Amino acid sequence: MRNADRITAVLLLIVSAAFAAGALKFYKWWGHDGPGSAFLPFWLGVVMACLAALMLFRSSKEQLAGWMPKDEAGKRVLVVLGVTAAFIALLKVLGMVVGTALFLIVLVRYLGRHRWWVTIAIALAAAGLNWLVFVYWLRVPMPEGMFWTF
Amino acid sequence: MMAVVGVLVGMLIGALPGIGPPSGVALLLPLTFGMEPTSGIIMLAAMYAGTMYGGTITSVLINTPGESASVVTCLDGYQMALQGRAGPALGIAAIGSFIAGTIGVVLLMLVSPLLARWALSFGPPETFALMLLGLTTVTMLAGEDPLKGYISMVLGLMLAMVGFDIISGDARYGFGVTELMDGIDFLPAAIGLFGLGEVLAGAEEKTSQMKISLRLRDVLPSLADWAQSKWAIARGTVLGFLVGVLPGAGPTVASFLSYTVEKKVSKTPERFGKGAIEGVAAPESANNAAATAAMVPMLTLGIPGSATTAIMLGGLMMWGLRPGPLLFEKNPEFVWGLIASQYIANVMLLIASTALIPLFVRALRIPYSILMPLIILFCVTGAYSLKNNVFDVGQMLVFGVVGYFMKKLGYSPAALVLALVLGPLAERALRQSLIISDAGVGIFFTRPISAVLMLLALAAIAVPLAKWGRSVLSPKP
Repeated sequence: MRNADRITAVLLLIVSAAFAAGALKFYKWWGHDGPGSAFLPFWLGVVMACLAALMLFRSSKEQLAGWMPKDEAGKRVLVVLGVTAAFIALLKVLGMVVGTALFLIVLVRYLGRHRWWVTIAIALAAAGLNWLVFVYWLRVPMPEGMFWTF
Repeated sequence: MMAVVGVLVGMLIGALPGIGPPSGVALLLPLTFGMEPTSGIIMLAAMYAGTMYGGTITSVLINTPGESASVVTCLDGYQMALQGRAGPALGIAAIGSFIAGTIGVVLLMLVSPLLARWALSFGPPETFALMLLGLTTVTMLAGEDPLKGYISMVLGLMLAMVGFDIISGDARYGFGVTELMDGIDFLPAAIGLFGLGEVLAGAEEKTSQMKISLRLRDVLPSLADWAQSKWAIARGTVLGFLVGVLPGAGPTVASFLSYTVEKKVSKTPERFGKGAIEGVAAPESANNAAATAAMVPMLTLGIPGSATTAIMLGGLMMWGLRPGPLLFEKNPEFVWGLIASQYIANVMLLIASTALIPLFVRALRIPYSILMPLIILFCVTGAYSLKNNVFDVGQMLVFGVVGYFMKKLGYSPAALVLALVLGPLAERALRQSLIISDAGVGIFFTRPISAVLMLLALAAIAVPLAKWGRSVLSPKP
């Protein structure tokens, strides 16, 4: 925990310094009648840097180990994240309906090891319902994909 | 009609473990885009009430609070369930919520116009001071570690700086990305931080099916139960409303406070924690009264009292409504529509919760391995439907990862979202004030209302700092 806090503090210090410096470099500190667009960002950078420094030097008594997920749990998080990222990246190629169905098949199967027919039934039902509510009822135009139109 | 759908959907979402009101409202907000602002906000308010009650169901049945305001309900509610009295526990919670919610709406109706009229005299310095107070109090109460709370809040403000500057027209921190010129929308951020972040944190645990074996033959509490808890409900309502009106102190604080009060006034405090029905009735009434009361500062001052109202505030702004004192003058039909719908939502909540509890119990049995992908799907669709833009979905994903780490490391996503929503407004108020005063900071302290608000805000910063300083200076044991 302590280590994680230190790393976060250092990262925040760097970001806030860049943030404040960037504000001064690219935007106006003072307009013709009042503070310009760099004014608040600069001070926010300064405040953040102070907070980060405070955290860096804070003596934390308790050292909580195990904030990082264990191997197996970490793998599950990464897989869920990866599959979701792939789903989003492919939205424009596959389209919402087909993409949803494939996404659900992969993830439900991976997480639960349900029978195939259960998995596929859930995926199709959810994809259909999603389409019904958003596209048909609420008229939100969803990505259609390159191969199909719905 | 919208209220009916809203309550049902809200309860269903709220009953899912791990999804509290902020996540629920963030996920459901996109559903309302296709609607008129008035029906949209009615549905949203109903969802809010629904998710509040949904959280109670899981607290009582499986000892897992769906939201922070129901944490105390677990103490006695789950004990009652173990004793086979889950029915009366849920029933008294529903009745308490109904009474508290209804009285809350009446008070909301009486207090809001007065507060709005008073707030009309506010200039930029008062607005800025008020926002600062809202930000600092929410941050102070948000988590265990105030420092991390403030870091989350400042991070939110920094993110709020991205996009066109309202006064000078500079496009700040865009890095040449066109989509970033409009700024970072709070909705993908909120869905990512609360929705996806929660799911990722939940993905760590090996999925297991929850086992609930319980028959809900009678949900209605007996007369004895009722006699035992009527004063608890009354006290919870009053306390909840008072706490809820304060900016920053939301339903969670209200429920904890009322539980403590009940225990203090009780003749048999030893029963608490072992299934005392007052221990369910009081905090449930308090959190519902506070949830209604939290709308008072949101509507009249434009300052949300909790994470959920912050998300609702963002929703209002997306419809082009500017919450604040002028809302009562410019859009009276909207304000009164909302208040009326709150009333209907409460009645619906009572009916739905008593009649449909068995159904929601069944929803709890859906294994997490199926639920989780469905929630992600909802996050993706929700983020997309804001502007029909895949870029927003990508933003949501990034915020999901950020939310996951914030949760793991003890930061406060609520403070970040609140800062993101209030950031541009606060900046404008700050700069206008400084233009008025010719760059003197004194303007915030010479005007009486602004001075009081500023001092309160500074106190909220000073208290944790003083505590920390004392712990550093005092000799180590």
